[in-house]
Amino acid sequence: MNSILLIFVLIVIATTSFIVGRRRALHSVGGIIKDLHSLPNHYGWFSALAGFLPGLIIILIWIMFGGTLVDNITLAALGEEIRNLSDFDRTLYMNDIRNLAVQDAISRPVTETLKSAAQYYSRTQENIFWIFALSAIGISTVSAFFGIKKVSPELRSRNLLERLILYFLVVCSAIAILTTVGIVSSLIVVTLRFLEHVPLTDFLFGLKWSPQTALRPDQVGSSGSFGSIPLFAGTLLITLIALFIALPVGLLSAIYMTEFAKPKARAFFKPLLELLAGIPTVVYGFFAALVVAPAIRSSGEAIGLEIASESALAAGLVMGIMIIPLISSLSDDVISAVPQSLRDASYGLGATKTETILNIIIPSALPGIVSAFLLAASRAIGETMIVVMAAGMAANLTANPLEAVTTVTVQILALLTGDQEFDSAKTLSAFALGLALFAITLFLNFIALKIVRKYQEQYD
Amino acid sequence: MDKAAVTTVQDLVQPTIRATNVNIYYDDTHAIKDVNLDIPPKAVTALIGPSGCGKSTFLRSINRMNDTIPSCRMTGQITLYGDDIYDKKIDVVQLRARVGMVFQKPNPFPKSIYDNVAYGPRIHGLANSDADLDNIVFNSLQKSGLWDEVKDRLDTPGTALSGGQRQRLCIARTIAINPEVILMDEPCSALDPIATAIIEELITELKERFTIVIVTHSMQQAARVSQKTAFFHLGKILEFGDTSEIFTNPKVEKTKDYITGRYG
Repeated sequence: MNSILLIFVLIVIATTSFIVGRRRALHSVGGIIKDLHSLPNHYGWFSALAGFLPGLIIILIWIMFGGTLVDNITLAALGEEIRNLSDFDRTLYMNDIRNLAVQDAISRPVTETLKSAAQYYSRTQENIFWIFALSAIGISTVSAFFGIKKVSPELRSRNLLERLILYFLVVCSAIAILTTVGIVSSLIVVTLRFLEHVPLTDFLFGLKWSPQTALRPDQVGSSGSFGSIPLFAGTLLITLIALFIALPVGLLSAIYMTEFAKPKARAFFKPLLELLAGIPTVVYGFFAALVVAPAIRSSGEAIGLEIASESALAAGLVMGIMIIPLISSLSDDVISAVPQSLRDASYGLGATKTETILNIIIPSALPGIVSAFLLAASRAIGETMIVVMAAGMAANLTANPLEAVTTVTVQILALLTGDQEFDSAKTLSAFALGLALFAITLFLNFIALKIVRKYQEQYD
Repeated sequence: MDKAAVTTVQDLVQPTIRATNVNIYYDDTHAIKDVNLDIPPKAVTALIGPSGCGKSTFLRSINRMNDTIPSCRMTGQITLYGDDIYDKKIDVVQLRARVGMVFQKPNPFPKSIYDNVAYGPRIHGLANSDADLDNIVFNSLQKSGLWDEVKDRLDTPGTALSGGQRQRLCIARTIAINPEVILMDEPCSALDPIATAIIEELITELKERFTIVIVTHSMQQAARVSQKTAFFHLGKILEFGDTSEIFTNPKVEKTKDYITGRYG
């Protein structure tokens, strides 16, 4: 019997409880529904949840704390010498016991002590689980019984359910928020460890990025330099190129869609444009590396320019194409939101379409367009795949779009793929970069949201 | 009965606007049916009638605002001082500079008060210098009775004004391009009684300079501000004549019912 089966048993209890509770409610008023405070189904749900929730809570406790409990009981049963090991070694030892218990490979020779410990562990785990499972079923049954007993025509089960739904929604939003907090705080913790190796000023203002560190003390090699400026400069360069492409094309196509296109043309073009948003970025990467970059290179050769086969320009161009749909669909929304009455007023004064667009529609929609632009910028900053494939890995500090550059996300990828030592400055620097990147995109999104909010108050 | 009821105004030498056999359709809906109407110069002509009778549609056809609605089709002829406004040679942009429009909901641009009024003159090149433009803005705000209220804050947004002030700003914006005709589509329906009274007073003053056509739901308003009244019903004009005549002695039973509030 496992947790899934246990949940299934709880569902059976809940279903039974639903049926019984509903029937009891109907019986209590002799089948005349309007004499009930709430609808029969509300009583059913009330009874069902009375049966389901207590058991669910016990299962959650088991999932969250059961493992630790079993560990501690096993540890207590183990000899003195194990308990007196250092924290680190004790954790390793427990890992081995756990792995052995599920017949996985372990890091030390299998001894008799270890075997018996593993058996003890398995037994304890099973016993504790049974305690939890039986108490979950027992408490659920009792609770369902009392829930059903409470069902009477006066019980405001509809209102109770309403409140329960509110709690459920609060829990859901709390999950989203807590996840964000968790991600950020784990980034911060590791970043602080990184800053023990490399001073903050070196990281923020250093001009050289070369994260290779010596693996052994006796190894000849660089001690690594972690100046993030070239990475952020590369990111900025590629982002600027992308926005330089995407902003005019996206905005103008949005204007065409909203102001000029006939409904038929709009119905044809708009999904087509949004198809661009559905292309996986890795495919854009192919396109950048195999089509755009060689094309740039050969056209550069034609006019006598030496261009690397990987260039910021290629990555930026393709990234620009990638974010066109983002800008155009967001701009489309804000332009459509400009009230028709403003257009009418402008046309009524004898303005042409272009005059109306330039003087009335774009200024009115500008806050929304700016925020679309900022969202697109944070999308471009966070993009990795295209840059890996088209712009290269070389951390050049340059403003020349024809050279190879690299971006923050690409370096994070490079730092964390493959075999890495977790406590080296090299690996840890990925987290610092991640945190810095997060701060930047958060800032951009924050501004974008502020602008959108201000914009929303503008009409009426 | 309909034909007999339409009083064409023969005593005027030349009407400003003459509509002849006008029919307007939205896709398959026949919104305006065979409307003939002569609108006299320098007077207020009110278009009244129950909701959905086509008065706004007809009004919008006078400066071709219906052109912006793709499903809208029109037959017949509308002339402005003898020029067929639906003629291919007519530039709709210039037409709208001659026939200005004030809308139901005050719709100032989200720009400063000054820029709202200066918008039309700027796009039509009516001012030769900044001083010229200042002058136009001053005159228009003065004529719309808004100058004293806004002279100290011309650079604040027009959207920040009160409802009645906004509507007067929209009127100022329209008279800034010095049109020959001003069309008003229920200009007071979104305003409180005091603001309405101010606008009505303004309309009465404006008719000295402009030919005004106003759509209104309020019988009292039509009676107060207009000299001519046309009664629309189901896309047709059932009765047209002097306002005093229509309100005191309507010839058609439906008009009488509507005016006395028996239906509408």
